[in-house]
Amino acid sequence: MSLRLKLLLLGLLTLVLPWAGCRYAREMESALREGEQTSLESVAETLATSLEGRVDLLYRAPPGADAAAAAALLKAGPYDLRPEALAAAPLVDGYSEDWPRDPSAWAWYEKDAAHRFGVLTGVYERVLYLLLDVRDAHPVFDAPGASPLDARASGDRVWLGFQDADGSERQVFIAASGPGAVTARYVEAGEYGQQHAQLEPRIRGVWQLQPGGYRLELRVPLSMLGTGFGVLVDDRDARGATPVSYGSLHPDDLRTIGHLVVAAPELTAYLAQFSQPGLKLAVTTPAGRVLARVDALKRLAELGPAPPLIARLYRRFVDQPGKAPPIESQLPIYDREHVQAIGELEVTQTADRWLRLRDRALTRMLNFTLATSAVVVIAMFAFAAWLALRLSRLRQASESALTRTGLIASFPDTDARDELGAVARSFSSLLGRLNEYTGYLRTLAGKLSHEIRTPLTIVRSSLENLEAEEVPASARAYLERARQGSERLNAILLAMGAATRVEEAIGAAERSRIDLVPLVESAVAAYRGAFPERRFAAELPAEPVSLEGAADLIVQMLDKLIENAVDFSPPGATITVRLRLAPDSAVLEVENPGPPLPSEAPGQLFESLWQSRSGGDNRPHFGLGLYIVRLIAEFHGGEASAANLPEGGGAQFSVRLAR
Amino acid sequence: MKRLIAIVEDEAAIRDNYAAAFTREGYAVRTYANRTQAMSAFAARLPDLAIIDISLEDEPEGGFELCRQLRALSPVLPIIFLTARDSELDAVSGLRLGADDFLTKDLSLVHLSARVNALFRRVDALRKPEQAGDVLQRGPLTLDTERMQAQWDGKVVLLSLTEFWIVHALARHPGHVRNRQQLMDAANVVLDDNTITSHVKRIRRKFQGVDPGFDAVQTVYGMGYRWVE
Repeated sequence: MSLRLKLLLLGLLTLVLPWAGCRYAREMESALREGEQTSLESVAETLATSLEGRVDLLYRAPPGADAAAAAALLKAGPYDLRPEALAAAPLVDGYSEDWPRDPSAWAWYEKDAAHRFGVLTGVYERVLYLLLDVRDAHPVFDAPGASPLDARASGDRVWLGFQDADGSERQVFIAASGPGAVTARYVEAGEYGQQHAQLEPRIRGVWQLQPGGYRLELRVPLSMLGTGFGVLVDDRDARGATPVSYGSLHPDDLRTIGHLVVAAPELTAYLAQFSQPGLKLAVTTPAGRVLARVDALKRLAELGPAPPLIARLYRRFVDQPGKAPPIESQLPIYDREHVQAIGELEVTQTADRWLRLRDRALTRMLNFTLATSAVVVIAMFAFAAWLALRLSRLRQASESALTRTGLIASFPDTDARDELGAVARSFSSLLGRLNEYTGYLRTLAGKLSHEIRTPLTIVRSSLENLEAEEVPASARAYLERARQGSERLNAILLAMGAATRVEEAIGAAERSRIDLVPLVESAVAAYRGAFPERRFAAELPAEPVSLEGAADLIVQMLDKLIENAVDFSPPGATITVRLRLAPDSAVLEVENPGPPLPSEAPGQLFESLWQSRSGGDNRPHFGLGLYIVRLIAEFHGGEASAANLPEGGGAQFSVRLAR
Repeated sequence: MKRLIAIVEDEAAIRDNYAAAFTREGYAVRTYANRTQAMSAFAARLPDLAIIDISLEDEPEGGFELCRQLRALSPVLPIIFLTARDSELDAVSGLRLGADDFLTKDLSLVHLSARVNALFRRVDALRKPEQAGDVLQRGPLTLDTERMQAQWDGKVVLLSLTEFWIVHALARHPGHVRNRQQLMDAANVVLDDNTITSHVKRIRRKFQGVDPGFDAVQTVYGMGYRWVE
């Protein structure tokens, strides 16, 4: 696993930030929800307290009625009607489809099993709507054209009894001569005991037959009504028959028994002050009948623009599936004595309100943490790439610092102040010291030969002088040995200085274009003369092999290779000299049968002062021959190498010269 | 009258050994350890031949300076550098200053006195009128073996003693290959291959100085050199 990948993975760990952000957002959501709940409750409490004891604000009471009278409304009797606050005005058409479908909202009255009717009441915009569902096996209409007061022509009738705004009892009746629109009438006692049926145009409705009875839908302006209210049905089985009267009015004199419990007209306006988008306020009777409501749950647009796409995307990470439930708060509204509930307050808030708050925070946090992660990952990746680059540069430098033949190339300097820079610098100084040491070793022979030369000269000149003196014959032998020793010492010195002189010669060498083929050919011919106890085979290419070089040096190099081959091959062996062309170079190979190369140090063969032969001859050997080969090969932009021939066939020395 | 050889050498043992050897040969010898001593003596009387070391006591290049001063006093006085330094650069510098030969200290006393004798012979020959019999003529090359002087197309080529002997060995038998050992023997020196190579190079360069087209000294790779006419 590369360093780059490791650091990248490490950088990916920062993705834990957004994850933690999501977790935090969830926590925050519940905290927000709790906070919203609390604030909703405090709103509800404030509202409930402001409504405390305000029966007059909750319930409609006739003008002038005192608080006590209003409070009496709360003493609910069985004949009281509590119209629901309707969300919309129902179409007055005799059908129940546009009414709330709540069976418990119906008030039922019955005389016996065959005579019963239900009343559904509702208030919208200061108008009382009534829907009567009368079960009647024989619905009977008035005779068409007959006076509504003509008892013989009368069919089924519905009476409404109510106290008007002044508190006086009034009654109206609805009679129909067929299904359709009806208008209420009232009985006016004229002069002389005459009765007239007068139209009450403010109370209108529609009469519809239905299986098992009929249905009557009416609208009555609340302004006509006081507190008392009741409905009575006259059920006749035949026109003019004696009616069966039942309902919430005294059957005798049609006086009201029950009340109409309606919200005060100001209540809705009062609640509207507290309305906010996403909030629903409702005041109900203690029994749960809605008196007034202000519903702004759907008015979310006012909360601000819908969350952007990215926020909706983020929400997927955080939310459990399913719609967040709204929060609710219910509080009773008490009377002044704080004993009895006069109503109940319901406050509902849609979940969107705090979800939007949370989403805004979540979006910001996720944007921030994701950006942070991205920056960290990119930075770490870049850092890793940079580090890897430096490391690979260092590796390359250290690999190429020590060349195959042991020469130490320069090491790049670095100013980096970190550990890597320190490593590079210590490498550099290590190589520098190694280089100095190698240089010292390389020049050691030359320096030594120079230093030894003076004392050797003293010895040799003294010996030569001594030979001219009278020396006893017995001492002559010692003198001769000393002279021989000093000669050998001199030869050693010459050999030791050879490398230095070759380096000098290389420094002064001039290049010219030469053809290696005749050069090698003539040299091999010379070797045949110089080493008669070896045979030489020359394998030369047909075409000229020309390169820029110094012929003297190349011949000297070949001399050393041949000397080496001769030294390591048995008498009579065939030494092969091969010249061949490579793409960018000429390759000179010298092969000789004989022992294999020392295996321990193939690269050191070409080093100065390396010798791995068991000496036998008297000539001094300093292993300089192959060192000189290397120097000359390098001067020609090439390199020298050595290898064993297959199957113990001997050794092959190969020199590549750049063309 | 005995010929006077001055030896300027800071190493007392070597100095005295050389002095003893030359005294034995019948020369008068004066020895000096440094340049100041030598110059003050030379101002009084010039020797007939001077053997100078390059580094003298505290002067690493004192021999060169001494050679320059001595050459100013006498243009014909034979001067031999005898030194432990064997670098190509030192040899070139010494010969450029007008020294007749540049030798390393591993030269034997026998070889050294052969050179000294040869140089004295040359001095004598220069004093005498020319004798035709001692001249080797090879095409444009004229070698006066008495005066140890080489001419190419009638122009004098200034060669050191070693160089002269090498040219002489080659030109005596044109077309014959002389290997390095033979050349060393002819020049009375023990040198390694590279030194011979650089001597040959210097010879070629000197002849090319008077004739840029000179290529009479040919390398026979693997064997040695030969003179071609």
